[in-house]
Amino acid sequence: MDELMEILEEINPDVDYETEDRLIDGKVLDSFSIVTLVSEISDAFDIEISPKYLVPENFNSARAMWAMIQKIQQEE
Amino acid sequence: MSLVSEQFLLFAAVLVAAFYLVPKRLQWICLLAASCVFYCTAGWENCIYILITALSAYGAALWMQRLGDRSRAHLKENRESMDKEARKAWKARTTRRRRWILAACLCLNFGLLCVFKYGGFVLGQVNELSLLLGGRGISTVWHLVVPLGISFYTFQTMGYVTDVYWEKCEAQRSFPKLLLFTSFFPQVTQGPISDYRQLAPQLFGEHAYSDHNMTYGFQRMLWGYFKKMVLADRAAPLVQAVFDNYAALPGNNVLLGAFLYSLQIYADFSGYMDIICGLCQMLDIRLAENFQRPYFSKSIAEYWRRWHITLGAWFKTYLYYPIAVSRLSKRLTKWGTRVFGPTFGKTLAASFALVVVWFTTGLWHGANWGYIVWGGINGLFIIVSLWLEPLYEKAKKRLHIREQSFPWRAFVTLRTFFLVTLIKVFPEVGGFRNGVGFWRACFRGWNLRENLLYPFSGKTDVIILSFGVLALFLVSLIQRRSSVREQLAKTPKLLRLVLFVILFFIIVYWGIPMSTKTGGFLYAQF
Repeated sequence: MDELMEILEEINPDVDYETEDRLIDGKVLDSFSIVTLVSEISDAFDIEISPKYLVPENFNSARAMWAMIQKIQQEE
Repeated sequence: MSLVSEQFLLFAAVLVAAFYLVPKRLQWICLLAASCVFYCTAGWENCIYILITALSAYGAALWMQRLGDRSRAHLKENRESMDKEARKAWKARTTRRRRWILAACLCLNFGLLCVFKYGGFVLGQVNELSLLLGGRGISTVWHLVVPLGISFYTFQTMGYVTDVYWEKCEAQRSFPKLLLFTSFFPQVTQGPISDYRQLAPQLFGEHAYSDHNMTYGFQRMLWGYFKKMVLADRAAPLVQAVFDNYAALPGNNVLLGAFLYSLQIYADFSGYMDIICGLCQMLDIRLAENFQRPYFSKSIAEYWRRWHITLGAWFKTYLYYPIAVSRLSKRLTKWGTRVFGPTFGKTLAASFALVVVWFTTGLWHGANWGYIVWGGINGLFIIVSLWLEPLYEKAKKRLHIREQSFPWRAFVTLRTFFLVTLIKVFPEVGGFRNGVGFWRACFRGWNLRENLLYPFSGKTDVIILSFGVLALFLVSLIQRRSSVREQLAKTPKLLRLVLFVILFFIIVYWGIPMSTKTGGFLYAQF
């Protein structure tokens, strides 16, 4: 989780990722940030994030992203 | 059947009555029957193509679903006998087979779309190339009539098939229900391009009558007819006059024509959306919205998030993301970061995906170079803005610009409106060279003493259009805070009644005569 937080801080340091749960719906992260985020997460956790995971529910909060990473790791 | 016709109003009235009279479990059949009638009125010969799309989507989705279910069942049964590697290999085999089915379905349907929409254009280009190289040229005769709404229903249905492949939704087991999703009549000609998970439960669910839905739906339909018949159709002859004669007209009139075209296309397309969303609300169905006050956007990228929203969302989900997170894009990002540094390198994957998206967006709108150039310019603005964003942020800090201040917001909104207005003219004048000629014509030979557009339109039209623009502006301002109909519901009933009676008579008196002269909707041609 700490590694994910570091990636998120790098993308936008002005957001409180502990509490924010509308990162996509609240337009905090745009489609460009998502692409950067996917690339960073894939490298950091050595996973392949397929387009099917690119839905707002998986990126609205740091917790949701963490749950998605764990799910992909289990599937792989 | 035109939405601006007595037949359609009668058809809609009969449908709404039948929808609430039949048993609730049969309501979806009522919608399917209406959709079949609506589609067949455009010509029986077109039905075969929409049936091919529905049948192929139905078969492919069901096949992929079964393969996935069987694979999961197999893995569950053999949990203990299979090691991690064997399970991985099994999953990869299933994914491969599912991918082939998806690819075949996409090739068939997008192939059909390409043959109908781009066959003539491709033949023309091959012919020109052949002549250029000294050949004899080929026949460019292309007689195929494009089936009604093929761009819209193909995209919507292929979105559903891809979602089943990605296991975002379950395959529909009833063919008539999938046929309804493919051909749902309010959206088949001009969208919105709906997400299966959002629309399907509403289409197949049971709906109860409510006065609230009836009133709000009727009010929205009326507003849509006002936009289409009174504003868009009134602006149409003026716009046509400018596009036909821009080289001979004074610059101020050419510029006015470009602004009127922005008004016309917005009033036309969003008017259509209001009519069908209103009708669907009467049926207790909420369609996805296609507009969110687009002319109040502060950048071109934002404009495209607020104009034709469902097409943008489709491209983002099914084209932009798959390309931007692909292995090729990752390699591109790594190479870009190594060569140009992280700031620019990280934008390369998104830029590459945006080039493909905007080229396709241009082609989707029409098979000619005008649309390709139009897509290219939009994409160029968005990509260059992405690259220059760090510099732009620095400049704003250095100049102490407060982003939330009214003058700055007004400036960037007007700048964006001006840019999108000028970009919109490219397909209308037939390509890059003519588009640049149009831009030049906007800024030369201004003549403020006489309005040369009057021969094409009377003073009454200009007054009505001015009041119409004011009405659209005021409604947009109210929409920023809340729904206009919610606000109206708080006013005395008599006042509301008077307002809508006035709107009705404006449509009858000033809308119907214009609409009978002008004809169909602009977006139906796409």
